[in-house]
Amino acid sequence: MKKHFKEFLLRGLIFAGFGPIVAAIVFFILQLSLSDGVALDGIQVFITILSTYVIAFIHAGSSVFHQVETWSPLKSAFLQLLALYLVYLVAYLLNSWLPFEPLVIVIFSVLFIVGYFVIWLTVFLLAKKESQNLNQKI
Amino acid sequence: MKIKIIIDKNAQEEVTVVAHCRTQLVKQIEQLVENSTKIFVGYKDGEAKKFSLVDVQCFFIEGGKVYANLSKEKLQLKSRLYEIESVVNDSFVRINQSCIANLQHVKKFSAVFNGTIMMTLKNGYSDYVARRELKNVKEKIKEIKL
Repeated sequence: MKKHFKEFLLRGLIFAGFGPIVAAIVFFILQLSLSDGVALDGIQVFITILSTYVIAFIHAGSSVFHQVETWSPLKSAFLQLLALYLVYLVAYLLNSWLPFEPLVIVIFSVLFIVGYFVIWLTVFLLAKKESQNLNQKI
Repeated sequence: MKIKIIIDKNAQEEVTVVAHCRTQLVKQIEQLVENSTKIFVGYKDGEAKKFSLVDVQCFFIEGGKVYANLSKEKLQLKSRLYEIESVVNDSFVRINQSCIANLQHVKKFSAVFNGTIMMTLKNGYSDYVARRELKNVKEKIKEIKL
């Protein structure tokens, strides 16, 4: 488990910087599109940089969940979903990208969970097809 | 193809194959002979044990140490994985950073929910096939089955 925790930190630290880079690009575009005399709020910029860093860190680090041999695939998927859901939800609320309204949060949650499973199901089916091809050759 | 076996304790041991072309059977004989003649030494509980490549399901790293995974036991080796990779024959292929598998002992491939492919060997040992090694694994399988 110790090696997986190290791998989690390592992957997280390697990719965490990509979050603020994306945020910086978005800010740049926003700044260009804002009319004269309107500026981005410094505190908001700080929160966004910090939260996108954490999002990218958790996003990259949580990929190691699928390599923990003692966890079943379902447990790995559930824990990764939970980690991603929580980090995105908190970041979205902190940045006011999502209004703090129960109905909106419920819709976001449903879309997030469905989206997560659709993406991974697609990836799984592609891997299954690949493994079937390999099995035919051995 | 005819087979001729001469038992002579005084003669030097050799295998000669006369064939019209390099068929799968020829390749298999070649690999079998190579695997049987290369002798490795592994360690278990302080004892040194000899084994040949034909018995090896895979070579893998665990806790920073290199092991040979045989059918019923694992033996620790003193060589590094990349050193082993350079001396094994075509039936072996690196499947990820810490495992070189013997394709002759593959039982099955299966998909995992995260999109990776698991390779299960005949003794039940399983390890994932790294995406960057998948192409190489496919080519090796194709080669040994030609």
